[in-house]
Amino acid sequence: MLSIDAVDAYYEDIQALWGVSMEVREGELVVLVGPNGAGKTTVLRVISGLLRPASGRILFQDRVLNKEPAHKIVALGICQVPESGRIFTGMSVLENLELGAFVPDARREREKTLRWVYEIFPRLRERESQFAGTLSGGERQMLAIGRALMGKPRLLMLDEPSFGLAPILVDQTFEMITKINREGVTVLLVEQNVRAALELASRAYLLENGRIVGQGTGQDLLSYESVRSAYLA
Amino acid sequence: MLESVSQTLILGILVGALYALVALGLSLVFGVTKFLNVAHGELLMFGGYASFWVFSLLGIDPFLTIPTTLIALTLIGAIVYQLFFVRMVKLPEETKIKNTLLVGFGLSVILQNLALRFWSADDRGITASYSGVAFTVLGVRFPLVRLASLLTALIFLLALHLFLRKTYTGKAIRATVQDWEAATLMGIDIQRVYFLAFVLGAALAGVAGTLVAVNYSIEPSMGLNWTLKALIVMVLGGLGSITGTLVGGLLLGLTESVTSLLLSSNYREVVGLVLFVLILIFRPQGLFGTKEA
Amino acid sequence: MKRNAYANIGLAVLAIVVLACLPLVVKKDSILNLLILVLLYVVLASSWNILGGYAGQSNLGHAAFFGIGSLVTRLLWILGWPFAACMAAGVASAIALALLIGFPAFKLRGVYFAIGTLALAQILNVTVGNLLPEMSYNPALADYQIVPRYYLFLALAVMTIAAASAVVHSRLGLGMKAVRFQEDAAESLGVSAFKHKLVALIFSASFAGLAGGAFAYYHVSYYLNMPFGPAWTFDPMMMAYIGGAGTVVGPIIGSVFFVLIKELLVLHVGEYHLVIFGTLFILVVLFLPGGLVEAWEKTRTALQRWTRARPRGPVATDTR
Repeated sequence: MLSIDAVDAYYEDIQALWGVSMEVREGELVVLVGPNGAGKTTVLRVISGLLRPASGRILFQDRVLNKEPAHKIVALGICQVPESGRIFTGMSVLENLELGAFVPDARREREKTLRWVYEIFPRLRERESQFAGTLSGGERQMLAIGRALMGKPRLLMLDEPSFGLAPILVDQTFEMITKINREGVTVLLVEQNVRAALELASRAYLLENGRIVGQGTGQDLLSYESVRSAYLA
Repeated sequence: MLESVSQTLILGILVGALYALVALGLSLVFGVTKFLNVAHGELLMFGGYASFWVFSLLGIDPFLTIPTTLIALTLIGAIVYQLFFVRMVKLPEETKIKNTLLVGFGLSVILQNLALRFWSADDRGITASYSGVAFTVLGVRFPLVRLASLLTALIFLLALHLFLRKTYTGKAIRATVQDWEAATLMGIDIQRVYFLAFVLGAALAGVAGTLVAVNYSIEPSMGLNWTLKALIVMVLGGLGSITGTLVGGLLLGLTESVTSLLLSSNYREVVGLVLFVLILIFRPQGLFGTKEA
Repeated sequence: MKRNAYANIGLAVLAIVVLACLPLVVKKDSILNLLILVLLYVVLASSWNILGGYAGQSNLGHAAFFGIGSLVTRLLWILGWPFAACMAAGVASAIALALLIGFPAFKLRGVYFAIGTLALAQILNVTVGNLLPEMSYNPALADYQIVPRYYLFLALAVMTIAAASAVVHSRLGLGMKAVRFQEDAAESLGVSAFKHKLVALIFSASFAGLAGGAFAYYHVSYYLNMPFGPAWTFDPMMMAYIGGAGTVVGPIIGSVFFVLIKELLVLHVGEYHLVIFGTLFILVVLFLPGGLVEAWEKTRTALQRWTRARPRGPVATDTR
C-alpha cells in the first residue's frame, strides 16, 4: 500500500534521513521504533507531506506522493495523529472531530464515522460539547486518534501515542490501536515504548540516526540482539 | 446635565459599533495570517468611494450600495493579495509581521496616490435623504443614520461570528489560527484559508468605508487615521474574538465621546492615540487578550 | 580597502565642490529649489536610515523630530531670536523628544515600536494642528534670498552624510548592526541593545531636527503642523529603502531618484510618482532588500564575471 524508497531528508542543511526504505502492506500494523532523535517523526512528516524528501520516492497505492501538497495527501487517505496529539484546544470535542472529517469524502460520511468513533471511544461522546482544552491527557489522546479516524483513513499513522500517558492508559491505547487495525484500518505506528509496540506488530522497522538498521516481524525484532540490549535490558 | 451625559454615552456607543466594524477586517486578517496590512484604511477608503460612486450614479439608499462595495473590495482584495502578500505566507512570524507592515505601507502609498488621481483631493460624503432625521427618546437624540449604521455593523459582526462558528470553512479558519500544521493534517489547504481571510478582511473594510462615507466624509488621505483607529480597537479588545473587537470599539467610541464632552471635540482623535500608546507600553496583549499577542 | 576609501572620499569632495559652486553658475531659482528639496530629503532619508536601516528599528514617527525642529525654530525666530539660536533650540527640542520617547518606546519590540512611533507622531500632528492652526509666515519675507538657504541645506546634507559614515564605520555602528540582525544574540555578547538603539535614535532625531530648522528658515508660508505629517516619514523611508537601507550612500541615491522621477512624471504623465515609488518600495522589500545599491553591486559583479576580468582588490563586501 505504502512504500518508501531510499528517501533522504534534510532540515535546512542537516541531514535527518539516509536512504530510508520501508513498506506497509494493506491491513498490516507496522511499527517503527528507535531511540530519541532517530528521525521517526521525520519519516511521518515526509509521508504526510510536511517535509519534502531530497531524494527517493514515496508511493501510496501506486501514486507518487513526493510533490503532493500536504492537504492533498490527507485527501488521498493518509491521516496522521501527530506527536502530543495537537488537538485544537480552543474548540469543542465535537468540533475537533468534525474537522477531522474535513476532506470531502470523509465529510459526506461523517455521521456514520462519528458513530463508529464514539463506539471506540465512548468517553468522547460524554464530553462532546466540552472545550478540548479541558480534557485530561488520556482523553486528549483519544480525541486526537478519534479525530484522525474521522478522516476515514486508509492508512492511519500515529506518532508516539503512548507518550506521557500513565501505564494503564498506555495499555488501553495499544488495545484500541489493535482494535482499529482489526476493523480494517492499516496502521503505521511510531513508538519509543519498544516492547509493547513490537508485541502488536505484524512487522517492524528499527531506525537509528536516520537509518533503517533492522526489520522483520515483531517477534524477530524482539529477539534481535541489539534491540534486547539497547531497549529491553 | 443628565441628558447631555446620556447623549454623550449614546453617541459614543453608536460610533463605537462603527469602529468595531472598521477593526473587524484587520483583526480577522491579522489573527489568521499574521499579516499586518496597514493599508486597511486605504481599502476602507476605496469602499467609501465605491459606495459614493454607486450612490451618485443610481441615487439609491446608501445602505443599499453595500453589495457593490462588497464585490468591489473582494476583487481588490484578491488582486492585492496575489500581487503582494501571497509570497509572505511561509515566512516566520516575526519577519512576516514586519515585512507585511512595510508592504502594507507601500500599498497604502500606492492606493492613496491612485485615489487622488481618480477622485481629486476634495472631501466627499454621502448625504442620505433622511440624514437629518432623528428619534428623540427621553431627551436623547438618536440620529437615524447612526442607528442604521449601528444595525449594519452589528449585522456584519454577527454574520462573521456565525460564519466562523457554524460553517466548515469557518471552523477551518479557526483551526488554522490555533495550529496551522495540525490543520494541514486535517486536509485543510492553508493557502486557501489565508486567501479567504484576507479577502474577507478587505470586504469588511469596504463595508466600513460605506458607513464612514455616510456618517462622515471621505478623501484620499483618510486611510492612515482609520488604520490607526482599527489598531487602537484591536489593542483595546485583544485579538481573536469578535466580542473583544466589539467591546474595544465601544470603549474607543465612549472614550472619544467623553473626551469631547470634557475637553473639546478637537481632542477626540488624540485621546484614542494616547490610549493606544499607553496600552502598547504597559499591556501589549490588550485588555482581554492573552500574553501571546 | 584603502584605495576604495580614497576614491570614495575624492568623489565626495568633488561632488561637494560642484554643488557649492553651483549657485555661482545657475541663476534660476527653480533649479535651486529643486536641489534644496533633494538635499532636504537626503538629510531626512539619511537620518531615518541610521535608526531604521542600520540599527533596524523601523521608526514610523520620524516626522515628529522634523516637525518639532521646525516648530521650535520657526516660533522662536518669529519672536525675534537670532536664527542660529533658534536652530540650536530646534535641535535641542528634537533631542529632548527623542529622550522622552526613547525610554518607553524601546520597551516595544519590532512591530510594536513601529506602530507606537507612528501613533506618537500622529498625536503631535493633531495636537499642534489644534493648538496652532494658523498659517505661519516667514519673518525674513522682506529680504528673502534663496542662495543662503541653499548653502544651509548643502552644509546639513554634508554633515549628515559625514556623521552617518562615521557611525557606520565605528564600533558603535558595528554594535547597531548586531542589534539589527540578532538583538538577543547581541545582548548575550555584552552589546547593550538599549544603549545602541538610543544613540541611533538621538542621531536620527538631531539631524531630522536640524532639517526642521532649515525647513523653517526656507519655507515662505506653511501650517505649523505640516512638517509633522506622515509623508515626511514615509517618503524618506521609501528613499532609504529603495536606495539601499543600511548603506551610507543608499539614501542619497534614493533621494535623487525620487525627485528625478517625480519631476519627470509631472511633466509627462501627471502626479503618479508615488504609485511608482510605492511599487518600487514593495519590490525592494520583497525581492531586493539592499535596494539599488545591492542591484548595482550585483550588476557589477555579474559584469566583471562576464568580461572575465578579475576584480582588483576585495570583491563587493556586505556594507550593511
